[in-house]
Amino acid sequence: MPENYITDEVKALIGTHNGPVLAFHPVEASEVRRFHQAIMDPARRYWDEAWAKSSRYGGVVAPPAFPPLAFRRAPDEPDPLDRMGEPGFDGNTRNFRGLPPVKVSLPRLMNGGYEYEFFRYARVGERIYRSSTYRDIYQRNGRSGPMVFVVVADMYTTDGNVPLVNMTTTTILR
Amino acid sequence: MSGICFEDVTVGQDIPNLVKGPMTTAHLVRWCAAMENWHLIHYDWKYATEHDKLPDVMVNGTWKQNVMIQLLTDWVGESGWLWKINFQFRGMNVPGDLLTAWGRVAAVETRGAYGVVRLDIGLRNQTGAEGTPGSATVVLPRRGGPAVPYPFDPACLGPAT
Repeated sequence: MPENYITDEVKALIGTHNGPVLAFHPVEASEVRRFHQAIMDPARRYWDEAWAKSSRYGGVVAPPAFPPLAFRRAPDEPDPLDRMGEPGFDGNTRNFRGLPPVKVSLPRLMNGGYEYEFFRYARVGERIYRSSTYRDIYQRNGRSGPMVFVVVADMYTTDGNVPLVNMTTTTILR
Repeated sequence: MSGICFEDVTVGQDIPNLVKGPMTTAHLVRWCAAMENWHLIHYDWKYATEHDKLPDVMVNGTWKQNVMIQLLTDWVGESGWLWKINFQFRGMNVPGDLLTAWGRVAAVETRGAYGVVRLDIGLRNQTGAEGTPGSATVVLPRRGGPAVPYPFDPACLGPAT
């Protein structure tokens, strides 16, 4: 029988909430450039200020899935690369949006999938806020062994509590 | 960019594919740097194959999601709206993969002054293997009708029938 990783302590995390947390930097034009170039999406709304200004967006915007990735490490936060070389550290801090840690000792982590609901693009210069909740944490025992699914629901907004995007992610610990 | 209207869409219709690749480790590193993702499975072949028992370094799910999104934003153009999208990462993608995002109209309905279209979507590699099955819902203007509001407010659709 595989070990049960869904302890009472882990179960108690379901429903835990934080936020709104403000991203350290507002949306920056060059960050949008790096993002849309890396995803190889040349749409003008991401870079052509003259075109974007006369469009329904009113200015250059970031790609729809940008807000969740706008929460980069702040200058005063620890450098995760300091931990490289630690036994068992895979480069991923397993920090679920600053929510309390999920104490599951499975060594591998994978991205299981996403659900999005989009309302509006984030414009260059706007600030982004995030509110997060552990929606579910559960275990499945597959052929390759036990897997723990961590489901986090996020709401991203800009100033005035204007909704940008809702996102639900599933992370698999295995 | 298309200016597609709801009346242009029928159930069973395939929307234009979006092709990316072949993927290389440079594409993965560029994405990791853009989003500051230091997970070793994306750029450390020894770690990926020996510790995580993977076949190679992995194309990021966070990158693939943007391909799925672009498939739909390209299709609806600037007059429609990608409202909802979901997908699961069931198959791995590795350097060398040529990725084709695809979509097929599964259902259509009118709601209020607009058309709502649900699609099955996915991302296949060069062998045809499906790795990212999902679905999406887009909102389109009706021919001669008002533009889809931006910012998008689902309340504009009225109650579901």
